[in-house]
Amino acid sequence: MTAVRTAEPPRLPVRSKTAAGERGWGGVSPMLTRLAAERATGVLVRERGTLHLADGLVVHAESPSAPGLDTLLTAHGTLPPEAWQRALTEADDGRGVARHLVDGGHLTPGALELCHLTAVYDAAYFALAPSSTPGRFRYGTAHRLGPIRPVPVAALEHETLRRRDLLHRIWPDPGTDEAPLIRADPVAAPALTRRQQTVLDRVNGVRTAPDIARELGRLAFHTLVDVRRLMAAGVVSPLPRPAHPKPTEPRRAEPRRARGEPPPVPVPVPVPTGLVELPPDPHTTLLKRLRDALEAL
Amino acid sequence: MANTETTLKEALASIEGATGVALVDYTSGMALGTMGGSKGFDLNVAAAGNTDVVRAKMRTMEHLGLKGQIEDILITLSDQYHLIRLISGRGGNGLFLYLVLDAKRSNLAMARHQLKRIEEDLEV
Repeated sequence: MTAVRTAEPPRLPVRSKTAAGERGWGGVSPMLTRLAAERATGVLVRERGTLHLADGLVVHAESPSAPGLDTLLTAHGTLPPEAWQRALTEADDGRGVARHLVDGGHLTPGALELCHLTAVYDAAYFALAPSSTPGRFRYGTAHRLGPIRPVPVAALEHETLRRRDLLHRIWPDPGTDEAPLIRADPVAAPALTRRQQTVLDRVNGVRTAPDIARELGRLAFHTLVDVRRLMAAGVVSPLPRPAHPKPTEPRRAEPRRARGEPPPVPVPVPVPTGLVELPPDPHTTLLKRLRDALEAL
Repeated sequence: MANTETTLKEALASIEGATGVALVDYTSGMALGTMGGSKGFDLNVAAAGNTDVVRAKMRTMEHLGLKGQIEDILITLSDQYHLIRLISGRGGNGLFLYLVLDAKRSNLAMARHQLKRIEEDLEV
């Protein structure tokens, strides 16, 4: 009788932690979790944004990628810009900008709360993005905006992960989040919502999704969602990066539309000279999208 | 308008048969506030899922070239009513109110009327 000895089965492949982080199911920031546990007050500065904490709760967030509360409040006439300025100067008395806005009768507490809450989650999405450098924390600085509606760290982290996952499900390639956008030539142009059309009208080969958000006074994450949907529909794509960074060309002033001409024909793309420009073949694009969709299953 | 929490609390208390209410941002799918619900009914999950309902209806209207605005969407289950009321604000951020009603205890017409009043309170 011979004993059958089988070799140990090969180990199952394990997904690497960094890949999990990129996909949005990894942890967010262990440092932030620790700060929440010790009920810290101060400012957490990360690569792509800052979080303001009071007693371990997030009271405010800012990111260069997301429009600030002032932009969001003034862009649609919710608040006159002068009122914001006045509240800023008066807030030196230590009562906080928020109190001055509400007491001055410019905003109801509810409207301010909703606007601020959406702005905090918006900026935090970028501030909590995977970063290459460690964050720094400065204890003991209160934000001059004053308390509005503090958000628990766990809720913010949970929502940030859910948002990463949402973007990933719409379109798995994050290329459109930061790059300048260009119009692509879809095989069959889909019907777009008015909201998407407004975003598409601003795509000119120079503006990035956060630029468009700031210009429209919209939340940056919401614009990422719109742009990924446009990407999935095949009507925009990120500007291909040149192999070697070239000195930046002067910005093109405005798209031709502004001068009252008919809507621009898709793409004359301002590609830096020296870059080999290949118009994307619609069949190749379709195959790539199929591949990406299959991989995402 | 008072703050979100008070408004939602009031909705839950004043609308007959209401078992849960949420204020939802429909682009991100995030619930900006929830009140009520139960262990078996997670309002945050319902909020995120119903953004797809709203978005699908909006897209269809765009395809059809309809210019009107959605006021509310009603979904009837065998034992529940789900009411979605869109909030038209200047901010351009689409929000909606999501209300869960017990079908046996509620008055649909009345609930719809009350929800409309609450929407007017919430306009940003």
